[in-house]
Amino acid sequence: MFFRVMESSRLPDLVRGFAQDHEVIGPVAKDDRFVFATIDDPAELRLDYDTTLLPPKKLFFPAEDQLMRFRVADNEVLDDEVFAAPRVLFGVHPCDINALLLMDNIFLKDYVDPYYKARRDATLIVGISCVPSEECFCNAWGTDEAHWGFDIFLTDLGDRYFISVRSVKGAELLDDFVETREITDADTADFQRVTAERKEMFAEDLDTSQLPLLLDAKFDSPVWDALGERCLSCGACSMVCPTCYCFDVRDDLAPDQKTGTRSRLWDSCQFSEFSAVAHGQNFRDSRASRVKYRYYHKQWGYLSKFERVLCVGCGRCARACAANITPREVVSALAKGGFE
Amino acid sequence: MAPRVVVMGLASDFGCQVQMTNIEDDLLDVLGLIDLSYWQLASSGHMPAEYDVAIIEGAVTTTEHVELLKRVRATAGVVMVIGACAVTGGIPAMAGQGDLEERYGCVYGADGAEVACGRVSPAPVKSVIDVDYEVPGCPMDTTEFLRVLSRALQGLANRVPEEPMCAICKTKENICFLDKGEICLGLFTRTGCGARCVTLGRPCTGCRGLAKDANVESAMKILAAKGFDVDEVAERLAVFNTLEEAFCR
Ligand code: SF4
Ligand code: SF4
Ligand code: SF4
Ligand code: SF4
Repeated sequence: MFFRVMESSRLPDLVRGFAQDHEVIGPVAKDDRFVFATIDDPAELRLDYDTTLLPPKKLFFPAEDQLMRFRVADNEVLDDEVFAAPRVLFGVHPCDINALLLMDNIFLKDYVDPYYKARRDATLIVGISCVPSEECFCNAWGTDEAHWGFDIFLTDLGDRYFISVRSVKGAELLDDFVETREITDADTADFQRVTAERKEMFAEDLDTSQLPLLLDAKFDSPVWDALGERCLSCGACSMVCPTCYCFDVRDDLAPDQKTGTRSRLWDSCQFSEFSAVAHGQNFRDSRASRVKYRYYHKQWGYLSKFERVLCVGCGRCARACAANITPREVVSALAKGGFE
Repeated sequence: MAPRVVVMGLASDFGCQVQMTNIEDDLLDVLGLIDLSYWQLASSGHMPAEYDVAIIEGAVTTTEHVELLKRVRATAGVVMVIGACAVTGGIPAMAGQGDLEERYGCVYGADGAEVACGRVSPAPVKSVIDVDYEVPGCPMDTTEFLRVLSRALQGLANRVPEEPMCAICKTKENICFLDKGEICLGLFTRTGCGARCVTLGRPCTGCRGLAKDANVESAMKILAAKGFDVDEVAERLAVFNTLEEAFCR
């Protein structure tokens, strides 16, 4: 990794430069919220966004993705290739960069998912520093900073960006399109100051030191029943979560019944059907058991395999949950043995 | 031999049968697979004595409907109901709440109760006979109709989504109506339409019926805590779901 400095006024040049050979995708406003969308004009970019409705996972693992078509008569597979045009994902916060790394563990390790991989390989990631909002608790998991998982990362120093360059491709593109300079001691000092100030901005420190032992000890806690009574089984938490990766696969026949499509759709462990098996059995029939499972998967199961929790503290689930069930509340209720 | 299909309407505005004509692009493909022996909306003749698949629209409102359904069930191998009226009792079911007699009087005059002879309190088809396939919604969605019909033709089990609307709504990156201070029935309503209304800018009206997974009690509490008028929520829910709780659980 090496570092450069760029005047803030140069940012549109950088975006326009990327746009020559790439689709540029970044945060844009949608009413009073934000979404990742294709950028046609650098002025649309809202690098001051707090968070987006859906995380970048939608760009690698779409909510509904046609995997292939097939012919019924002879089971021949048609159109299963993935077309991924080169693109730049511009303005990703550290939590979401870290979330993609957690997704990679699932889609690029034991079983390489060609659809995810093609899109991941075709996408450059430009990170952007952020200001924590009330719902953010990435600091609790150490995902408040991204050390890898991006090509370049821009830290906003006010009048200029402190740029961390991680990949050769990122370095080349930066060089091609925009004037940057070497960092000075003053730049580094400002970078350190900004970073330290940001750390102070987090709402509170969630104590996660007892996890996952806490979960082991609290398997039968009444906290789960109370959460089960509140939960709407709506699955909104899984949809908006940058690290939830569960999916369902569905085949649909064309009206003439001669060909069909196979699609992959986001799923959620909060739906009763998720854990339904043959003979009408369901091993997580109660809402309480399903809410509990979400936490055990994220803070225990995944952790035991990949040594990270499956949460980056982005706070999207907290915003999306009508029942206001939030990881912060759940973890502290477990620690305290009940709700405040 | 192509399956012999009949399409009939009970109490409804025939809107879902009209939806079938809206399949335009795919209608010929579908007609190529079936032997459409009778379609109430489009046929002038009578229902044949034998058929394999019965597609039924509308709510049950008369004893004649009840008798007809029993005959249909005895004849057809597959019964498919389409649209809110047939699936949940829909809007007609609202009439059954309170004094039905008086209501008939209001509409049909002093001897109204006699005009509507053999009336029964409006109810979904499933309250009278077993139903194999359902296409909910007001009106039903043509894509879903084709999907369900395809499952029926292939002999695959009916697949009714059990979860509420909010998940698919989130995937469309809609801004939640509840956050904008407007009542939305997505918390209660079974998914499957792609959160069409919300995506087009209107709150969910619950036309697809209650989701089996819905937590009605908690949703009501949550809406009250957010400052919504729960009586109004209940009133809106009743438009399509008067009888749903009874059949859902
Ligand atoms: S569980 Fe919630 S806070 Fe954690 S990554 Fe998922 S959406 Fe973000
Ligand atoms: S099991 Fe649940 S919590 Fe875990 S990834 Fe799947 S949807 Fe998310
Ligand atoms: S968003 Fe909230 S109410 Fe909906 S399934 Fe998740 S925890 Fe339950
Ligand atoms: S707008 Fe309606 S359907 Fe969408 S998330 Fe909100 S309550 Fe659910």
